[in-house]
Amino acid sequence: MAQKKKPALAPEPTPGGKVGVYVCHCGGNISDAVDVEQVCAQARRVPGVVVARDQMFMCSDPGQEMIIEDLKSGLVDRVVVASCSPSLHESTFRNALLRAGANPYVYEHANLREQVSWVHHGPEATAKATRLVAAAAAKAARLKPLEPIRVEVQPRALVIGGGVAGMKAALELAARGQAVVLVEKSPFLGGQVAQLQELAPEGETAAAVISELAGAVLGHPAVTVYTCAQVEGFEGYIGNFKLKVVRKPPLGATYADRLEKLSKSGQGLGEYVPFVGVMPATIPESPEDFDLEAGVVVLATGMRPYQPRPGEYAYKNFPEVVTLPEFIRLQAEAEGEGDTLMLHGRPIRGAALIHCVGSRQIPGIHAENEGGYLNEYCSRTCCAATLYAANLIRDRYPQTKIFDFYRDIRTYGRGQEELYTQAAASQVVFFRFEAGEEPQVLKNPDPQGPPLLVQVKDVLTFGEELEVPVDLVVLAVGQEPNNIAGLVQQMKIPIGADRFLQEVHPKLRPVEMSVAGILLAGTCQAPFDVGETCAAAGAAAVKAAAILARGFVELDPFVAEVDLSKCTGTGACVEACLADGALSLVDLEVAGQKVRRARVNPVMCLGCGACVAVCPENAINVQGWTLKQFESMVDLIVSDEYLEGA
Amino acid sequence: MALVDPDFAAELKAYGVDTALDCFNCGTCAAICPLNFEHFPRKMIRYVQVGAKQKILQQAQDLWRCLHCGLCTRTCPRQANPGELILGLRRYVLAQFRRA
Repeated sequence: MAQKKKPALAPEPTPGGKVGVYVCHCGGNISDAVDVEQVCAQARRVPGVVVARDQMFMCSDPGQEMIIEDLKSGLVDRVVVASCSPSLHESTFRNALLRAGANPYVYEHANLREQVSWVHHGPEATAKATRLVAAAAAKAARLKPLEPIRVEVQPRALVIGGGVAGMKAALELAARGQAVVLVEKSPFLGGQVAQLQELAPEGETAAAVISELAGAVLGHPAVTVYTCAQVEGFEGYIGNFKLKVVRKPPLGATYADRLEKLSKSGQGLGEYVPFVGVMPATIPESPEDFDLEAGVVVLATGMRPYQPRPGEYAYKNFPEVVTLPEFIRLQAEAEGEGDTLMLHGRPIRGAALIHCVGSRQIPGIHAENEGGYLNEYCSRTCCAATLYAANLIRDRYPQTKIFDFYRDIRTYGRGQEELYTQAAASQVVFFRFEAGEEPQVLKNPDPQGPPLLVQVKDVLTFGEELEVPVDLVVLAVGQEPNNIAGLVQQMKIPIGADRFLQEVHPKLRPVEMSVAGILLAGTCQAPFDVGETCAAAGAAAVKAAAILARGFVELDPFVAEVDLSKCTGTGACVEACLADGALSLVDLEVAGQKVRRARVNPVMCLGCGACVAVCPENAINVQGWTLKQFESMVDLIVSDEYLEGA
Repeated sequence: MALVDPDFAAELKAYGVDTALDCFNCGTCAAICPLNFEHFPRKMIRYVQVGAKQKILQQAQDLWRCLHCGLCTRTCPRQANPGELILGLRRYVLAQFRRA
């Protein structure tokens, strides 16, 4: 077990404890409903409490300074703050204790806002606040200083996924001196971006982006790349993940099209081929697997374009109906230099582009997809990509007319509104449809005309029904997360209702998963464009590098602890334990006798307390939440002795 | 059910109408127009965009309601010049009548 004890943070406070109680007004949030002065007055009568003070904002500098002063002067050696929820400010006050030179775990938090002032009013509010503070003070008097659990970190990052996100994350990690293993399921680096040509809105080529990233990744000595490889075994925790990686030839003809294109191109290993990517190594002939230890894992498993159901906008009914990625490839591989776009020898005089295909689906209006789900989110990138394609066609093939059918257009990013302006200037004709009244794609009854007819109830023409004869229909499909159910299950990581991976906090911790040490980069999290993907991947890489560079991680010590003077080795705790490997029975020698006793692996322990409940000897407790501490809290909740006039 | 005619906008160039596709259908012109008449002049501009020739000819008399006050042209966020567009459509309609 890679685990060390740190030297003690501060001398142990005198037993019994001198408790300081600090009650916050929260600027009226609490004090409008709770008589804060009365809570303080009653708290002073609780055994062990030496001082009780109030403050308008305890989290403010003056509030924190007040606590630090009392600790430094020796007036108090245990702290209770009664304020908002601990998820908001518990760490603020633990840090204040640290700054005062005290152990941060001789701290107890009482929630007077969410649990009192926001839900109760009148005298009952003050009465409940008083009892919560008294209970917290009683517990605080029994708190013991604890040491955080320190775990050494395996000096290696594993990046899963070899698209833009994975390659960017790997490079940023390597640039910070960290060793990286990059695992890619397919035989190619480049991901979905390698299936594109020019990238909206600025028009950099996919070839340039992927060539640069793949070249740097393959050329960097700190990065090891495994293609045709998948993670099939996962255990461990931040700093010490143990993974099984399997390399095997791809199933069936999964990549036959791309492999054929690669061999026709005449390019070799490590070279970029459009609509293929970069193949860095040959495909293994037989399955092989190896074990890998990593301190952090970066998930960059990416997205796939929405695949319309057969018949959705007549997709697959007519060969002239294609998705936007399919069109990009057709256009890139089109022959001819004329004024009119030619596809498969057929002039495209008019093309319809339809937005929001497979995105912004509404329950009750749109049909569920194969797996019984709806993509209710906006895929964000398709509007710009569609307008970029429209402008490109109008620019290169002035005789090819573009009809753009949208529900809404959102060109949200820098340089994107210009695409819309340019489309209007390029004489793109726009039509708007309502949800549930999507355009119909039909065979054109006029045999002299183009093959398809798009019918729409056009909002812009005051709801009139219009018909547009076209040679081509392009469906602007959205982004869906790749299916990584296996990883999700093994890693026990959360996914959102939209099936994308879910970060800890969408704004404040956007690249971290709730499982410590697992980070996420790119379109496995949400629809992103290439720039946003690189920003996310860079952030994930720096977070990962910070964990690796520190060399160890500290975990909260609220884990089970065995009292060997009471343990008789019944094993009830091991049976009840919810976390594999957190509790085990080991052979010990006590007073010359061999005995079996429970032992906690503090790194694996969840601190849930299931073991505490089943131990017949009361020999196991969760540190910071011991049964004795709970008893003291209950005693004070039911006691009236400290109340005024009691 | 009207068939969209993408070549109509080009046909109108001869009558001095060449800004119709700059319009993004915001309706500012119709909101500010003192006639306060249906969707005038936006409706006419939209008909040009989709090439609804017959609609314009059927509702041609509306073109002569315009006072040419210039408010729509002054407030148009896309400089699509609705006022001039209406004048151009009058010329187009007259030419069609003469031909008929």
